Amino acid sequence: MALSSDFLPWPKEHAPGQFYTFPVGGSVADFGPITRTQNPMVVGTSVLGVKFAGGVAVAADMLGSYGSLARFRNISRVMRVNDYTVLACAGDYADYQYLHDIIEQMVRSKLNPLWNTILVGGYHDEESFLGYVDRIGLAYESPVVATGFGAFIALPLMRDAHEKNPNMSKDEALTLLERCLKILYYRDSRAFNRYEIAIVTKDGATILPPASCVTNWEIAHFVRNE
Amino acid sequence: RLAILPSIIRGDWQSHTQCTNPGSIQTPLHHSSSSQTVKKVIEINPYLLGTMAGGAADCMYWERVLSKHCRIYELRNKERISVAAASKLLANMVYQYKGMGLSMGTMICGWDKRGPGLYYVNEEGTRLSGGMFAVGSGSTYAYGVLDSNHRPDMTPEEAYDLGRRAICHATHRDAYSGGVVNLYHMQQSGWIKVSQNDVSELQYKFREGN
Amino acid sequence: MPTVMEDCVGAIQHRFSPYSFNGGTLLAFAGSDFALLAADSRLSEGFGIHNRNAARLHKLSESCVLACCGFQGDCLSLLRILEARVKMYKQTHQRPMTCPAIASLLSQLLYSHRFFPYYCYCLIAGLDSQGQGAVFSFDPVGSYERVPFSSLGSASAQLQPLLDSQLSSGVQLSASQAEQLARDVFVSAAERDVYTGDSVQVCLVSSVEVHRDSHSLRKD
Repeated sequence: MALSSDFLPWPKEHAPGQFYTFPVGGSVADFGPITRTQNPMVVGTSVLGVKFAGGVAVAADMLGSYGSLARFRNISRVMRVNDYTVLACAGDYADYQYLHDIIEQMVRSKLNPLWNTILVGGYHDEESFLGYVDRIGLAYESPVVATGFGAFIALPLMRDAHEKNPNMSKDEALTLLERCLKILYYRDSRAFNRYEIAIVTKDGATILPPASCVTNWEIAHFVRNE
Repeated sequence: RLAILPSIIRGDWQSHTQCTNPGSIQTPLHHSSSSQTVKKVIEINPYLLGTMAGGAADCMYWERVLSKHCRIYELRNKERISVAAASKLLANMVYQYKGMGLSMGTMICGWDKRGPGLYYVNEEGTRLSGGMFAVGSGSTYAYGVLDSNHRPDMTPEEAYDLGRRAICHATHRDAYSGGVVNLYHMQQSGWIKVSQNDVSELQYKFREGN
Repeated sequence: MPTVMEDCVGAIQHRFSPYSFNGGTLLAFAGSDFALLAADSRLSEGFGIHNRNAARLHKLSESCVLACCGFQGDCLSLLRILEARVKMYKQTHQRPMTCPAIASLLSQLLYSHRFFPYYCYCLIAGLDSQGQGAVFSFDPVGSYERVPFSSLGSASAQLQPLLDSQLSSGVQLSASQAEQLARDVFVSAAERDVYTGDSVQVCLVSSVEVHRDSHSLRKD
């Protein structure tokens, strides 16, 4: 009588009495008290996205931080996927580059994550799309999104702007993004004043040339640690 | 001869606490509301009953698989499976997963050619035959009542009362046990459900009428 | 689960965790000829709110609705698989899957991930083959039970005792009473549970239709 092989809903790699490890084939040592530390190395900070009437825009600054060192100051973190899709990426920069080749990887199931949070903007059937995906598969759509520190600093401002003006124009959306990027630059130590914005409308996806925030540090000398 | 199968309760039945593998993945299960009404006696077929203690999902799943195997045995062999064989099927199935974090303390009770049968099976693959078992977090309390009041020559009514009392006192002392006592009687003609009593009502009854 | 501050600066995390908790509260009642589900729409993580308009109620058939919360990534993939299986059943058998059958399928799906569980709290509610309201309450590894009413998720510890006190005497609510009770308890839950709020989605399953409604809750 077939005992256990015909009804098991999971893989049959597990021998009787053997300790189970995940992923299958891994050794128990992989999960011992001291384990691999998965560090993001060169990382990008927040990315922002906003929908507007007839399109969507995503923005990211151009800094690659190496710990507290502002190591790469002119790297692009937004990507044009096709005519009507763009993508912006926070987190590990190497993983972002890898993502170019394998955009549709099932990253979580292998416990070998790409250390990124990704915003996807697109335009299809006269409707703009703005979505969020992170390394464990959390995913949602929203008219305004921001990742990381931006979720704390910029997102409330963007939500406020969107609530007051749900059908904002492209120019209003760009002004909003620039304002948020500037505020992030003031307060996020890992942010930078050089940034890129990608836009998708019915005319297609474009990445605007890199620009710089005009900042004002006049009041900076009032802020002292005393 | 008769075998009484009170539903012995291990109340931490929300299997969450046990649902991780010994590797490393911890499910961050926060809160859980347990149920007072869940049937901890699983009716495998008219001549076999199983009890649940430990991981609810583990018990529910494997006893369902067991009931499938018992039915297939019956169709192939044109006779009912023995209690010994049924419990051994279950023990062999869970033994394959030994060390992987299953949590299951169960009693398989039935009536076959040899008369009434009662087996204890747990997640490690232990399988014991015996005349009386209590399983789960409140089992020690239940044993106290069972051992001090059990006689081999009890009438069914006396046995019903003892079963109810054992569960009732266990739920009184064990924080993880409670709810209702489901009482089944396994007879030559198959099991019957004797009663279902709320323990809080039983406790008042036992206190007053002793 | 990564802490919020570590996450937002992209700093060192000692081990990758495949899970996260995104909050959310679910509720369902079974009536004599209807079932009512309610869920809030706040998708949060740590101290942040990702989305105030998340969907937690998913229609699986004309007489069955799934409510799902916990880790939203797992909810998404579980829903995707369940929807596909329900569709396959319908195409194979030329009739829709009944609510108890979907519940049994969901139990098997959840248990099939016993050693890497879907971190999902699920409720299935709808009508059984006799047309009576049915609610099935699940744990993340597939143990389930048919109940007259149930609440799961982040505010379940607040809601369940309240429902017990209001309903355990066996009172039969009408659909409108059930909806009012659901809205009221969600207002209470939003007062005390930070992972519950923004809005409550209500879904009434009857023999006529699956009717959806939404009511706002506090947004702080």
